[in-house]
Amino acid sequence: MLRKSASFPVGLYAILLLALAWLTLPALFGPVERWLVGSATAVPRLASMWFGRPARAAGRDDLGRVEELRAELNRRVTRQNFSAGAGVIPVAAEKLLCGVLSASRVGGGGRMSELLLDHSYAELEGCDLVVKGDQLIGFLMRPGQGRAIDDLPADPARVMLCNHRDAPRLYASVDEDGGGGVGGLRVVVRAGSSADPAPMRVDLWNDPYQAAQMDESGLLVRTRALKYGATAQRVPGGLLLGRAKVWGYDDQKTDDVLTIAVYVEPLFEPHALSHVVLWRAPAVRGGRSSMMRAHRRVSGVVYDLPGADRGRHLLVTDTGVPDGAAVTQEGMLVGVARGLCLGSGLATSFGASRRRWSLLFLPDGDTLPAFEMSGVVERAAGNVAWVRWEGPPRDQLPRSAEGHLFTGSNGRFCPSGLWIGRARVDRLDRDLLEVRSPVTRGARAVDVLVDPSEAR
Amino acid sequence: MRWFWWFGVVPQLFLLAGYLHDLGLPPVDVSVFGALFLAWFAQVRALPMLLLALAIGRSLVDQASLPVHLLVIGVPIAVLLPLRALFVAQHWLWQAMAASVLAVVIPKLSGLCARIFDQPAPVGILDPWQVFWAASLLPPLLLVARLSPPFRAFTEQAEQARRVAA
Repeated sequence: MLRKSASFPVGLYAILLLALAWLTLPALFGPVERWLVGSATAVPRLASMWFGRPARAAGRDDLGRVEELRAELNRRVTRQNFSAGAGVIPVAAEKLLCGVLSASRVGGGGRMSELLLDHSYAELEGCDLVVKGDQLIGFLMRPGQGRAIDDLPADPARVMLCNHRDAPRLYASVDEDGGGGVGGLRVVVRAGSSADPAPMRVDLWNDPYQAAQMDESGLLVRTRALKYGATAQRVPGGLLLGRAKVWGYDDQKTDDVLTIAVYVEPLFEPHALSHVVLWRAPAVRGGRSSMMRAHRRVSGVVYDLPGADRGRHLLVTDTGVPDGAAVTQEGMLVGVARGLCLGSGLATSFGASRRRWSLLFLPDGDTLPAFEMSGVVERAAGNVAWVRWEGPPRDQLPRSAEGHLFTGSNGRFCPSGLWIGRARVDRLDRDLLEVRSPVTRGARAVDVLVDPSEAR
Repeated sequence: MRWFWWFGVVPQLFLLAGYLHDLGLPPVDVSVFGALFLAWFAQVRALPMLLLALAIGRSLVDQASLPVHLLVIGVPIAVLLPLRALFVAQHWLWQAMAASVLAVVIPKLSGLCARIFDQPAPVGILDPWQVFWAASLLPPLLLVARLSPPFRAFTEQAEQARRVAA
């Protein structure tokens, strides 16, 4: 009997199948999970009343500078996002700065091809193009049409990037002479397939012979204005699409490249985008003015969980908190919450987290821009975490760069601009950022950022 | 009553193990310990609920969601369970070997599930010391646990009888 049940344990297989169903329908099983894990925190919650150590948080001196740094970050981010050349922006167009909540749907090059914004379609009425500085990011979808057929005007707006399968083809030029794309090779660019080596590919060119001679990647590709066709008057000329990527065979003897295809690599990583800018025609009056979202705050207390890995905290609040909500202390990120039952929660600090973060790196001095990047904490020791980052081209971020690291947009409840700590490019591996979060004992009170819609 | 003790005590073992490690004692991976107990010593009929308590405990110290922990601990148990009949008498050497295999497999499986189900992934670096301590400490710990509540109440009777006879 023992052997029979051991060789085919029905109950065990059933719970493994249940786990798969649980992962498929998280909304259905979410409340159950909150109660199960929440009840297990009852013991440490009780113990924290007598033995709870204060969570690690910054000292007064560090917190005092946070507001100043956040103001500097905001100033530089705004300057970068609105830095499109005067000839590119439509005259008298209104520019709206929006936060990016998430990137989804695999598109060309295997990269994400849709963005979810923190503004609704109704608020962005009259907008079409989505840009960042002089880079073309994508196109605002329209509720009730195409891919957004099920969306309502009150829903958060979605943006299709240029590598989206439904994105329009773009008339552009490869800037061979460095003259801003005026005299270069003229091409038509469309979204690539998910298996392509870059998000967009060049479909047609005006001079196939000249195209076949291209053997150098890295040339800038910019849009050109069209007078006729679907995108006529929609996309102005001069917007940056990315860098050309030549795909072909190397000739071992002559160093020539047999060009098979030309792709376009955008200069941004969708996961790393924190803010984008939308243009609204001056004639449209229906939409609201540009503003960043505020969040409602819930007061709470964090304790170190006894024995848990460093950076894992017990969070106690008066009310329930959503998963992924930022736990902050005067503008500094303490961690990210996982809401449980009866006002309990678990908070994980940045250093202990294993998720992908959207980040903003603000280098010291005023010469370098703020870099939008995405990254994952690879390892941590004490109050130092090493983040493997991607996003900005390697040549833009100097090897000796030092500065401050902030959150980018990490979902509805974790907005951009929360200070994480001091950061610098790792001396041995420049794909790593070494992040030092100031950690002392003392402060227990925290704020948890919850539903932004209630605080608009 | 035994279930009350199981759900009350076992999840807290994850915190206790970390706490003792903070005090300077060698690390004990409670996931490996629990998986080994469930696979080779626990009552087969009780496995689903026993596994659930282990998964809840792991949720306290790891960011992935509860069903991922069910899979990460449950799949190795499902693989090891049929071997229970082969390794009669549960010699400590087999236990040490199984513990070291689980000390490698569970973190790897955790990373795999994280990638597949888009969950926070654990650190991908395997610590050989973890494997060493799992192989060294878990067999004696399992012996002690099988004699102590709440594990004793869920130990397979055939296993208990064999131990008494020995």
